[in-house]
Amino acid sequence: MTTVQPNPGPETAAAADRAVKLIDCDVHAQATEPMLAAHLGPWARAQLEHYGRRTPRITDWYPRARNGGMRVDAWPNKPGHIWGSDPEMLREQLLDEYDMDYAILEVLSGQDCYDHPDFSREWNHAINQWQTETWLAFDPRLRATIAVPHEYPDLAVKEIEKRAGDERFVAVLLPASAAEPLGAPKYWPIFAAATECGRPVVVHTGGYVDHRGAGYPSFYLDYHVGNGIVTQGQLTSMVAGGLFEEVPGVRVVMTESGVAWAAALRWSLDAAWEQMRADHPRLTRRPSEYIDEHVWFTTQPIEEPEDPQHLMYAIEQANLRDKLLFATDYPHWDFDSPKQALPRVIDKELRQKILSGNAVQLYGFGS
Amino acid sequence: MSAPVHEPGAVDCDVHVAPAAYADLLPYLSDYWRQYISEAAIRLTGVGHAYPPGAPVTATAEAREKGWATPPSTYEQLVERYLDVAQPQHAVLNCITGFDVHRNPYFAAAVAAALNDWVRETFLDKDERLRASLSVSPVSPEDATAEVERAGDDPRFVQVLLPVRSDLPWGHKNNHAMFEAACQRSLQVALHAWGRAGKSMTPSGFATTYLEDYLANQPIAQAQMLSFVSEGVFARFPDLRVMVTECGFAWLPTLLWRFDKDWKGVWREVPWVKDLPSEYVHRHFCLSTAPAHLPPDEAGRAQLLEMLGSSQMLAYASDFPHDHGDSIAPLLDQLSGEERHGVVHATAAAFYGLKPLRTYTST
Repeated sequence: MTTVQPNPGPETAAAADRAVKLIDCDVHAQATEPMLAAHLGPWARAQLEHYGRRTPRITDWYPRARNGGMRVDAWPNKPGHIWGSDPEMLREQLLDEYDMDYAILEVLSGQDCYDHPDFSREWNHAINQWQTETWLAFDPRLRATIAVPHEYPDLAVKEIEKRAGDERFVAVLLPASAAEPLGAPKYWPIFAAATECGRPVVVHTGGYVDHRGAGYPSFYLDYHVGNGIVTQGQLTSMVAGGLFEEVPGVRVVMTESGVAWAAALRWSLDAAWEQMRADHPRLTRRPSEYIDEHVWFTTQPIEEPEDPQHLMYAIEQANLRDKLLFATDYPHWDFDSPKQALPRVIDKELRQKILSGNAVQLYGFGS
Repeated sequence: MSAPVHEPGAVDCDVHVAPAAYADLLPYLSDYWRQYISEAAIRLTGVGHAYPPGAPVTATAEAREKGWATPPSTYEQLVERYLDVAQPQHAVLNCITGFDVHRNPYFAAAVAAALNDWVRETFLDKDERLRASLSVSPVSPEDATAEVERAGDDPRFVQVLLPVRSDLPWGHKNNHAMFEAACQRSLQVALHAWGRAGKSMTPSGFATTYLEDYLANQPIAQAQMLSFVSEGVFARFPDLRVMVTECGFAWLPTLLWRFDKDWKGVWREVPWVKDLPSEYVHRHFCLSTAPAHLPPDEAGRAQLLEMLGSSQMLAYASDFPHDHGDSIAPLLDQLSGEERHGVVHATAAAFYGLKPLRTYTST
């Protein structure tokens, strides 16, 4: 165990004296329920004590085959801690190990249960307080995403406004599966509020995922591969629903759902729009043009064709050179090391863009 | 957008027929169901949500003007509107009327049986070029198996027709008895676009436009493909093959990259999956060519063909009377004569075990 470093304070720019080289756009800090309960008011705390989260976690529905789905070394030997809950361990295993400039936390605890608005408001407030006090205060390289009560956009907007003054909250977090498709007008105020305060919206796999067109898969394998399938539907909804016309400056980051499928989705969206454009007067441009302008993708778990050159085909076909953001997905089992995960066919310039350049452009890090 | 182009001499693996009304099916239903239909005033709206009468996808503008937007309900209509025009070697008739009758499992089973009897007498008995998909109850695996056993011995039924939208993914063990019954009769399986309405089409909530519903068939087909492999259907039924119909195919390569990658990590969960998932898919799946949502440029299409590994997983479909444009034509034009013959003819002929009825020269 390394000695705890004194907190350098949030105002100290970790990488001010060097070029930004590595940004991790998908890191999971994981709160235990008691950790969040400490930030709840008495009513919400009692609700949590009496009823728990009311719904099984996705890891209960679809157990991972080994080690609970986590890196084997990710379980802290500390009472009351689980994987992803210990800032010291994360600093040692991720920030220091890879000499990272920035790592963006995505806390998924608010996504998988349809809560009453009063509870959802407090719960997401607690997640953000916990991020602020436990993580952002711990290491200046850490950044956070704003957890929001997404089914109650008016409350979500208030939470966004509350956090907007803290620049370490770099994005707004939404689940890739919610009560309605994310392009539905219901959610537009959340995208608008994020855009208003200069934040992208990070859409992360997860959420209720409760009514697939094909029915429930039996295994984690299908469920997990299916994350890319869910996200195809979300991007279709955002384009067809007119989100990118409604919120012209919106930036969306599709996270942990793969990247290579984007090309085929563009072809089908463009073809269907060509045939049905009269039905969609809101759309003034080809669907692929909206995606070009508004959508980013994180790498992990990037597709691995047998011939790595085919990955380059897919990246070029989907016009992703400026849109890919490196992610490790620490501490999950399919963690991607920045030293090993990107195949050699990715040229030096593109590699630099993926590891940091595109995220610098998107989030304004180091500027 | 141009109209679909027919390929004379093709084995056309997706041609739609449908009864015009329940009146067409009454001769094949019991007194109980005739009375049920009559007294409940049930209309055969069937898959109106899938092919609304005025939608561009439902039929070409010309066909819609002629009042031909709905699939043929008589042999004469099929001859005039399709067979004389398209001149296929063989055509596989798909009647998706039973996809979403409603939730009463007894009615669903009765309608599936009636549809099969109607298809046999209305079309199959009249033309040796015709083959058909076998309708089964989409809500009861037990009833689906019984229908395969009842009607599936007729070799003109070449595949069991399953909607991609289902309550449980089709690979689920609940359905294995049906697959066993199909294999015993050398029947294959077709997954066809659309299906169970009344629940959301996307994995994450109800979409609000037809375009979204239409495109959702493609991700749903992907989920079904995962299910067939991960549930071990092909390990258990090595002769079974699946035709993915009207759900696109350009999504296939990238899905398999991810599927193989994940399987390498979590194979312990599905120990019966012994080979790479992509190997099962290449051995057991074909995909129909309509709609083909393709790269706009020739180089992109060449890359897609390279990533698919072989054009010979593709099987030509006119999808008559539906109109997805002529989107497959540019791809066919990029193939060698032999490859083109494979897509238009040989792949589906092998899939269904069809022999030529007359001399056919590939172009």
